[in-house]
Amino acid sequence: MSERPTIGYAGMTHLGLCSSIAAASKGFATVGFDADAALIGRLEAGQLPVVEPGLDDLLRDNRSRIGFSADAKRLTQCDVIYVAPDVPTDDAGRSDLSSLDRLLDHVLAHSRPDTVVVVLSQVPPGFTRARQRAERLLYYQVETLVFGRAVERATLPERFIVGCPDPAAPLPEAFDTFLKAFGCPILPMRFESAELTKISINCCLVASVSVANTLAALCEKIGADWSEIVPALKLDRRIGPHSYLAPGLGLAGGNLERDLATVLRFSEEHGTEAGVIASFVANSAHRKDWALRTLHEAVLAEASDATIAVLGLAYKENTHSVKNSPSLALIRQLGPWRLKVFDPVVPASAAPHPAAAGAKSALEAVENADALAIMTPWPQFRELSCAAIARAMRGKLVLDPYRVLDGAAAHKAGLDCRTLGVS
Amino acid sequence: MLTHQNASPVAPKRVVVVGAGGFVGSTILKELADAGVPTLGLTRREVDLLASSGADALKAALKPDDAVVFVSAVAPAKNAAQMMTNLRMAEAACVALAAAPPAHLLYISSDAVYVDDANPVTEKSAVAPSTTHGMMHAARELMFRSEYRGPFAALRPTLIYGARDPHSGYGPNRFRRQAAKGEPITIFGEGEERRDHIAIEDVARLARLILFHRSSGALNAVTGISTSFHDIANIVAAQFTPHAEVKSVPRPGPRPHLLHRFFDIADCYRAFPDFHFEPLADGLARVHRETRVQ
Repeated sequence: MSERPTIGYAGMTHLGLCSSIAAASKGFATVGFDADAALIGRLEAGQLPVVEPGLDDLLRDNRSRIGFSADAKRLTQCDVIYVAPDVPTDDAGRSDLSSLDRLLDHVLAHSRPDTVVVVLSQVPPGFTRARQRAERLLYYQVETLVFGRAVERATLPERFIVGCPDPAAPLPEAFDTFLKAFGCPILPMRFESAELTKISINCCLVASVSVANTLAALCEKIGADWSEIVPALKLDRRIGPHSYLAPGLGLAGGNLERDLATVLRFSEEHGTEAGVIASFVANSAHRKDWALRTLHEAVLAEASDATIAVLGLAYKENTHSVKNSPSLALIRQLGPWRLKVFDPVVPASAAPHPAAAGAKSALEAVENADALAIMTPWPQFRELSCAAIARAMRGKLVLDPYRVLDGAAAHKAGLDCRTLGVS
Repeated sequence: MLTHQNASPVAPKRVVVVGAGGFVGSTILKELADAGVPTLGLTRREVDLLASSGADALKAALKPDDAVVFVSAVAPAKNAAQMMTNLRMAEAACVALAAAPPAHLLYISSDAVYVDDANPVTEKSAVAPSTTHGMMHAARELMFRSEYRGPFAALRPTLIYGARDPHSGYGPNRFRRQAAKGEPITIFGEGEERRDHIAIEDVARLARLILFHRSSGALNAVTGISTSFHDIANIVAAQFTPHAEVKSVPRPGPRPHLLHRFFDIADCYRAFPDFHFEPLADGLARVHRETRVQ
C-alpha cells in the first residue's frame, strides 16, 4: 500500500471517540461512525460527550482529518475499522455482548472484503475466534483506555497487543502501517492470549491496589502512614515507580470489576483455583464502606440531624462517569440526613438521595455542614483553603480519603481529617 | 444483608413470640409492647414444641397476618443430644409455619454460625460453625428458610449482656455477679481476647426494626466494637465500692488460636442508618444501676 490507510471507528463511545481522534492526530484520514445521528450531529458541531483533559484541543487541531457520520456507507472508505462500542456490565460485572455483536455484523456488512476489522472493545477469551468468518480479516486489539488519561493513553501507547488468527503471519499492510505510526512495540499473539492479556493487566493492577488497601487499613490502626511506605516500594525494581499503590475506596468504573468477574466465571467453568480473585472482590467491597463506617463512628452514631457535605460525585477525577462511584455508594446510605453536594462536572441530580441540595461551589456545599466527605480527588479541591473550610463548617470532621487537603494545614485549622492509610 | 419489604416502618398487626419466657424473648416482647404492638407471648407452658401436640398447638395460635419471632431454644446446645432437641423443636415449628404461614418470620440465631477465622465478620462471612451450638442455629436457619415461604430474617446476636440474663457465661454477667458476691473477678490468662458485646435492649430494638420493615435476609446483632475481657472486667470492677479485685486464673484449655473477633457492621448502617448502639461502658453502667435496684 503506497498511501496512508484510512482508519474507521464504529461506536463513538468514550473508547471509540478518544481512539479516533488519536488516529487523526497521527496524520491518518479517520471516519468516526455511529448510528446515533443526534450524537454525530453534536460531534460534528465539536461538542464532545466525554470529559478528558486535552481531548477538545486534540480534536480541534486535527479536525480536517476526521469526519463523523451516521451513514454506514462511509465505512467503505476505510482500510482498517475498529469496532469499539461500550460493552455494558450488570452489577455482578457480567458483560452484555449483544450490542457489540450487532455492531460487528453491521460493520462487516458495510465494509470492503479487504478491510481489516479490529475488535477493540473488551471481550472475554474466545470471543474473537468464535466470530472468524471466511474471506474476512478479523483481529482483536487490547484497549488500555484510562478514564481521565485517555488522550495520553491513546496517543502515546506503551505497546500494542494484537490478537491474530495466525501470530506467525505478518499483519495486513494497512493495519501494520497504522500501528507502526505510534512508534511503540507491537505484540502479535493468538486471540485467546490477547484477550487474556487485557484481563491479566487488570488483575495485576487490582492485586497492587488490594495490597495497598490491606496494608493502608493496618496503617490506620497502628500509627503508620502508608504514604511514607509507598516511595520505598516504588524504588524497589521488582515493584516499580508506576505501580498502583494508592489506597482507594474499592474498585470502580466497571472495567476492573468485569475482568475479575470474568476470571471467576472462567475458573469455575474450567475448575481452576481463583481464591485470590475472590479476595480482591471482597477487599474492594470492604474498602467501599470506609467512608460510611468512618462517618457513622465519628459523627452519625450520636447525631440524628446532621448535615453532610459531599464534594465529588464522579468515580474519579477528570471524568464525568459515575459508574460504581464510591461517592454515590456513600450517598445512597445517607437518606436520613441532610445532604449538600458539589462536583465540577456531574450534576447534583445524579446523587441518589431524596433531598440532595446542589451547591454552586465547594465552599458553598460545606457551609454549616457537620461533616465533609471529599469523595473524588478533583484537582480544584486541592486549592481549597483548610481555614476557609473550617470557618464555613459547623462540625470539624473531614473525610479526605485521597489526601486532597494539606494534612498539616487541616490540623492547624482545627479540622479532624481522616485519610486512607494514616492513623 | 437485609431487604426491607416495608421501606418505611409499619407496625405488624400482631407479633407472636415463640420462646417468650426466656431472656431474649421476654425483652423482645417488652420492646414490642412498649411500641404499642399487639403481642402474643408463647412459652413452653402454652406450646411445648417437644410434645407430640406441639406443632398443632403452635399452628392453632397463628393468624395469617401475624409476624412470628422464633427464639425458643434449649441453650446452649453443648452436645449432640441438646442439638437434636433444638432441631426437633424447630422441626415442629416448621410443620406449624408451613400449615399456617404467618406474614413474616424472624429467627433469633447466633454469630456462632460463622466460620472461626472470618475477620472481620460480616453477614457475607461463610456459615461454617465449629460448635454444636453454632451448627444447631445454622441448621435451624436452613430449616426455616426451606419450609417457610414468606419473608424470613435471621438476626445473629453476638455475646449478649443484660441485668436479667440468667446465664453466667464468661463475660460481663459473670463478672458482675462475682463482684456483687464480694469475690474477685476472674479472667482467663490476661483476658486479652477482644469480643463484641451487645446489650439485650439493642438486640430487641433491632428485632423491632426488622419486624416493622418486614425484612428478609440476615443481620448480625453486633456493635462493631470489640473489647478485651480484661477491660470489661476492670469496667465492672470499678463500679463497686471498694473496687472489685480482677484476678488472672489459668486458662481452662489452650490459648485460642484466634484470639479476637471483630465485626464490620456496614450492613447494619445500610439497613437501619439511624440506629445507634449503646456504648459498652454506658450499657454496663446502666446494668449495674438496674441490678442494684433489683
